[in-house]
Amino acid sequence: MSAADSPWLRLSPRKLLIDPVKVLGQFAFPAVVALVGISQGGRGMPWWALPFVVAGAVAIGVLPWLTTFYRTTDTQFQIRTGVLNKKTKTAPLDRVRSVDLEASLLLRIVGLSKVQIGTGVDDDRITLDAVSRGEADGLRAFLLARRAAAMASAPTGAPVAEARTDSNGDPAGHPTDDATGDPSSAVSSAPSLEPARVLAEIDWSWLRFAPFSLARLVVLAAAIGAVSQFGDELPVADVAQSAWTRVHQFALSLVIAGLILGGLMSWVTVAVTGYVVQWWNMRLTREAGSLHLTAGLFTTRSISIEEQRVRGVEMKEPVLLRMVGGADLSTLATGVGSGGATAVLPPCPRGVAESVGAEVTRSSTAMTVRLTPHGPAARRRSWTRHLGGAFFLIGATLVAMLWLDLPRWLPVVVAVLALAWAALSAEASYRHLGHATTDEHLVIGSGELTRVRTVLENDGIIGWVVHQSWFQRRLELATLIATTAAGSERVVARDIPVAAAIRVADRSTPGVLTAWLT
Amino acid sequence: MTQATDSVLLRDPLHQVSPRAVTYWRVSALIGALVEWAIAIAFYFLVLPAIFDGSRPWWATPLLVVLLVVPVAHVLVMPQLRFHIHRWEVTSTAIHTRSGWLSIDSRVAPLSRVQTVDSTQGALMRLFRLASLTVTTASAAGPITIDCLDREVAQRLVHELTEITSASEGDAT
Repeated sequence: MSAADSPWLRLSPRKLLIDPVKVLGQFAFPAVVALVGISQGGRGMPWWALPFVVAGAVAIGVLPWLTTFYRTTDTQFQIRTGVLNKKTKTAPLDRVRSVDLEASLLLRIVGLSKVQIGTGVDDDRITLDAVSRGEADGLRAFLLARRAAAMASAPTGAPVAEARTDSNGDPAGHPTDDATGDPSSAVSSAPSLEPARVLAEIDWSWLRFAPFSLARLVVLAAAIGAVSQFGDELPVADVAQSAWTRVHQFALSLVIAGLILGGLMSWVTVAVTGYVVQWWNMRLTREAGSLHLTAGLFTTRSISIEEQRVRGVEMKEPVLLRMVGGADLSTLATGVGSGGATAVLPPCPRGVAESVGAEVTRSSTAMTVRLTPHGPAARRRSWTRHLGGAFFLIGATLVAMLWLDLPRWLPVVVAVLALAWAALSAEASYRHLGHATTDEHLVIGSGELTRVRTVLENDGIIGWVVHQSWFQRRLELATLIATTAAGSERVVARDIPVAAAIRVADRSTPGVLTAWLT
Repeated sequence: MTQATDSVLLRDPLHQVSPRAVTYWRVSALIGALVEWAIAIAFYFLVLPAIFDGSRPWWATPLLVVLLVVPVAHVLVMPQLRFHIHRWEVTSTAIHTRSGWLSIDSRVAPLSRVQTVDSTQGALMRLFRLASLTVTTASAAGPITIDCLDREVAQRLVHELTEITSASEGDAT
């Protein structure tokens, strides 16, 4: 409270070391082109223009520092920018949802970090480009503590909300936006009283999971693509060509083995490097009603998600990762932009993902409860769907063989592969289906080859869709969709028996369906 | 929470949409069919001969027949079927709708989570004095639409729903 009308503060002067460099970097290429063009053509910028370019860059770099001010008043965080068009942005302190710190390598060298303040109202976040490390940490602690204090001390609107929900007889319909209307959850997040608690820290034995997580395969593919593009133009290409033909005659199998080995090794290198760079010093903590994630080797990220916004978690076990007992964990939160799922753990042992998931959801059972399978009808549908695709492919190959005069063995090979693949994925995707309800969560299993367990807080469910296709109706199955504002905004239980769907929905949101239950 | 009954099915929502919806759906299906027929016939008599030097491949005629017959079935069958399936009901706490014709969607949302209530009316709908009502929640997967209500019913419903939902606090996420 002592911060009442504190003076306007500038961003760190160390920003002046960085911004001109950045601007120069952007200028460098055109400037060089211009200068070279001059010396050759005798036109354009003369050599003495160089100092002006540098001075201009410096001026442009310095300008934001000169014109940006920020301060915290008793009730608001304010930031003022602009020279001619002065712009002031404010964020009410009790509306601050998240304070994220991020420091690129350049910022870290000079001991600065970028602060982003989210108010949860829209995607428009307030950004402080460069403040000193200590100041950033202080600012974050202050803002989050202020928000927590505001929540605890002023449960405004609670009586109104309670009265309304009572009159509706609709206990599931709590408006739980700022938690101002929901005293129980305000208590459960115990603002500022709860000391920072570490939920997870990086364990470098987890590095063994890195090669089994294919998320970075894209990077490698892009790199190979880029290299192969240049490959043709390199002078070595001709040498390689002749070498290739010679090798081709001798030891094709050896070359293939070498290529595979090389590919695997570069994959492992890329995967492990990426893992280390992204998850260096990873730490997930709970503090003042928020989850904080810090990680990163070069660019350090520090993300905080208000726990009120976290509606559930999603544990994914891609097929490769599952073979070695690993899993990914993300939180499903509202108001965190597109996607809404934030990875809070690197690929790690399944047990770790489960226990951290249990901590985040504050539910001892939801992460491990046995899922009720969707039954034989669902299995039949899964098989029909996958076999249908396989038969279509086989048919297409047959037609192509007749028309294009392809070899006879091709359809046979395609048939064997397609059927085997269909059988495998049909059975896998059926086995991944499942549902369960705990006291406070809806748990849904899904996924084709990746096993996905989605845990959604009952309070986060804002509606239901029971979708029945013509085929599903004949088998008394349905696709149950719990709509929510968090994550991908829907949690889908495919091919669940209709009776089970209604039961699950009724248990998760008591009262909502009552009028229509027979 | 645990006193979930063993009842297994939802009963139908009480109200049907306006009977004029049948004609409206039929007319709009017919318009679509006419456009499709025109394209199919033009293709058959003008484009195909141009491509295949005056003659048509053997599959052209069966395909044309299929393209001409399917919309007829759609125009004849769909409106009735849809009218039987489309239903809605609003209680003091929740809204429940059912829609579709080949595949069927039942949607339920508690009114405390409703964010906006809109009514829309296309040009053709205005001709039939119909209006659609859309209720949105904070989820992109959650909008609930009641198609083709009687215009007066839609207006009354918008009024009622706005009244109920404006009493709710918070951002309903």
